[in-house]
Amino acid sequence: MEKKKRGLRFYADIYRKILVQDLKTKMSYRADFIISTIGMIMVNLSGFITFLILFRNFPTINGWDYYHMLFLYGFSLVALTPVQCFFDNNWNLRFQVTSGDFIKYCFRPVNVFFYFMSEVFDVKGLGQLAFGIGTLIYAWIHIGIPVTPLVIAKLIVFLITASLFMIALMNAAAATCFWIRNSGYVMVIMFRFKDFAKYPSSIFSGIFKFLFTFIIPIAFIAYYPSLVILDPSNVPLLSWLSPLLGVLFFWLSYTFWMLGVRKYDFTGS
Amino acid sequence: MEDQALVMKNVCKDFKVLNRHEGLKGSIQDLFSRDYKTISAVKDVSLEVARGEIIGYLGPNGAGKSTTIKMMTGVLEPTSGEILVNGKVPYKNRTENCENIGVVFGQRSQLWWSLPLIESFKLLRDLYMVPQAQYEEMIELYRSLVDIEPIINKPVRQMSLGQRTLSDILAAFLHNPTIVFLDEPTIGLDVSMKDKIRALIKGLNKEKNTTVILTTHDMGDVDALCRRIVIIDKGMKIYDNDIEHLKGYFGSYRTLHMKLADDTWEQMLIDEKTTDVMQVITEKQKVTKIKDIRLEEISTEEVIKKIYEGEAV
Amino acid sequence: MNPRKVFALTRAGIMESLHYRLGTFVTLFANLIYLVLVYYLWKAIYASSGVEVVNGMTFTDTMIYLILATSLFNFLEMFVVWDMSRSIQSGKIILDLLKPLKFRTYTFWSYSGSHVVSFIMTFIPTFIIVMIVTKGAIPIGLNLVYFIISTVFALIVNFNIEMIVATICLYTESTWGINIVKETIVLLLSGASIPLAFFPDKLRAVVEYLPFRAVYDVPLTILLEKNGTDTLQGLLPVFGFQILWIVILTAAGTLFWNYSVKKITVNGG
Repeated sequence: MEKKKRGLRFYADIYRKILVQDLKTKMSYRADFIISTIGMIMVNLSGFITFLILFRNFPTINGWDYYHMLFLYGFSLVALTPVQCFFDNNWNLRFQVTSGDFIKYCFRPVNVFFYFMSEVFDVKGLGQLAFGIGTLIYAWIHIGIPVTPLVIAKLIVFLITASLFMIALMNAAAATCFWIRNSGYVMVIMFRFKDFAKYPSSIFSGIFKFLFTFIIPIAFIAYYPSLVILDPSNVPLLSWLSPLLGVLFFWLSYTFWMLGVRKYDFTGS
Repeated sequence: MEDQALVMKNVCKDFKVLNRHEGLKGSIQDLFSRDYKTISAVKDVSLEVARGEIIGYLGPNGAGKSTTIKMMTGVLEPTSGEILVNGKVPYKNRTENCENIGVVFGQRSQLWWSLPLIESFKLLRDLYMVPQAQYEEMIELYRSLVDIEPIINKPVRQMSLGQRTLSDILAAFLHNPTIVFLDEPTIGLDVSMKDKIRALIKGLNKEKNTTVILTTHDMGDVDALCRRIVIIDKGMKIYDNDIEHLKGYFGSYRTLHMKLADDTWEQMLIDEKTTDVMQVITEKQKVTKIKDIRLEEISTEEVIKKIYEGEAV
Repeated sequence: MNPRKVFALTRAGIMESLHYRLGTFVTLFANLIYLVLVYYLWKAIYASSGVEVVNGMTFTDTMIYLILATSLFNFLEMFVVWDMSRSIQSGKIILDLLKPLKFRTYTFWSYSGSHVVSFIMTFIPTFIIVMIVTKGAIPIGLNLVYFIISTVFALIVNFNIEMIVATICLYTESTWGINIVKETIVLLLSGASIPLAFFPDKLRAVVEYLPFRAVYDVPLTILLEKNGTDTLQGLLPVFGFQILWIVILTAAGTLFWNYSVKKITVNGG
């Protein structure tokens, strides 16, 4: 029997095909789509209102003024889009693991992680993306950052970098369900941690600075990557290293997730 | 060796579980407890299955059937012993193993819930990299075996349980695997659907020479499909041979059906070595009138029941 | 509902919650990390503003308020909406409706056990840590008793909101959307994301009358003895506010539920 090769192109192709089918069926649930979109708008609106209320009372935070903070906010929203769009099935993981349904992902000749994630593409994330881009552009204009191809290229690279950290966090949080039965809180709390990504991580000190940089890397979801754009003359080493660290964190979370799959005894049936 | 689709040698599987205590106080104790116990789900099971064979893999609930299936499919690693599926260790080559097996779990669909069946088939074709010609040939074969028109364009979520099971079985055979595992494929289905599904399995097995490992509690499945059965109880293999051979052990058993005065049928299992059939009838006649009598050989169902109940083979 | 049944349901809930032992520790740990985040963020915010008191709230007040709000959030978090939507999809709802207890009452008491556990396992430790960190900034006296009473009221208000939203799920499959709208509104308008004291006056005037305030803001205001709640005259209107909303929401929720169930049974579910 010849060995079939499944490379990157195969996976990209499969993902595209599943996505197309998924979108087709989503279109048929219009009410759900509308309500979810409203929900997503509410979430972003509420975040924005909180932000405005905060700045009404306190004009600067740790030397960051309104527009710089807004930039950070927009940056974090865009960086959080991939986890919302492509990795949303993580939220279903614990239910499928407890009920035993998860086993079906193990019977296909493809990567379990890929197969599981491919099942859900969350369209709602796109609303957040639009909101984030809008905020980012608004802040960008007010700060007066020059628009050059190099800056745009940097922005894209570091946005992708930033998104890897959030994906890693949610993968790790979701994977705890292989060991802990009611891991719902872990995910909820991790998801709330991201709210702190939009503040400059210079507010932390000591051991907690280390914790929020290297263990629960929320400092990388917006702060470090965005410094490359915001403060080009004074970029810390960690900002330059963030793409590498992003890949590392993603890989670690993936390994942890897959370890869970292997360790789990599938007794749900 | 190459003729064997599946080989298991002295396979064991242990699980470590927390020893839980009873009551509210026990629950609080368990919070800090390190008291684990080991449970042996599968104990020293050896098995060989030839290509093209359909075997019935039977056992009471909790006997270790699904644990074994999970090990054969590469999802679980055996604690000790060796498993070879198509000559390869499934756990170490999970992806490769998956290319050559198909799995159906009676109650849970593995298809894309909201997609029409044909779209699921197309996605599976791509996932398994099935050549287009082979795919079309398979669909043709399906058409010849069952009427797939009513379900082919239906989303799985709108199907009845029977249609869903049918779809799952078709999907499991789509990439022409060498072994298909069917876990209670007819559970919860009506009689005519059961027949349809059995005929389909038999047809696919014949056409494609696919090995089928069938776990079920429905002896109708066994009678219709399997010549050989393997019985496992408390993790140990207690029987592995032809059904006929098994029935031979209980050759002296007869099922006696009696139609009583009120037109109800009463049945009784009688061992002719120890009990005289005529005697039983005479005794019964003293109490009530018997309108009709039928004497049958022991059914598979009753044989299996006897074995589960601990009758030695 | 007789006391024996109540006790049985609560006891079962406690045992089930303890069953997930690792989850309990993880929740507590995650709470502590969240506490650290809130601490650093608001320390930086107050340090940047250069004043001690903003809108009647000191740094310590704000911190206690937000951390305990989060802790209350974990404690009050009920997955009624999710449970409901899952049991509708699986058809289990029919079995639940057949149980010899009123469905609403049954749901309430089956959550009571996990409330007790999370109050003891997560809220009290968090409370003690906050007390130590803020070196006695939380007034200790009768206010603790009032706080507990008010928390029980908050729990009932929250349950009613959950139940009303869960009832909406009988009509639509869009659980995610419905739930996120609810969560966002409750978190923002109850003061859990940012203390109500910081809200602009006009917005605040509206929020004052909405039921969401009864969930987080009221118990925490009582605990911190703000807005004159240290006197009986100040306390009574606040309790009155909670009780009024309990009556309104319970009546509305029961009517809505009974009406919906009838409609659904008629339609054949």
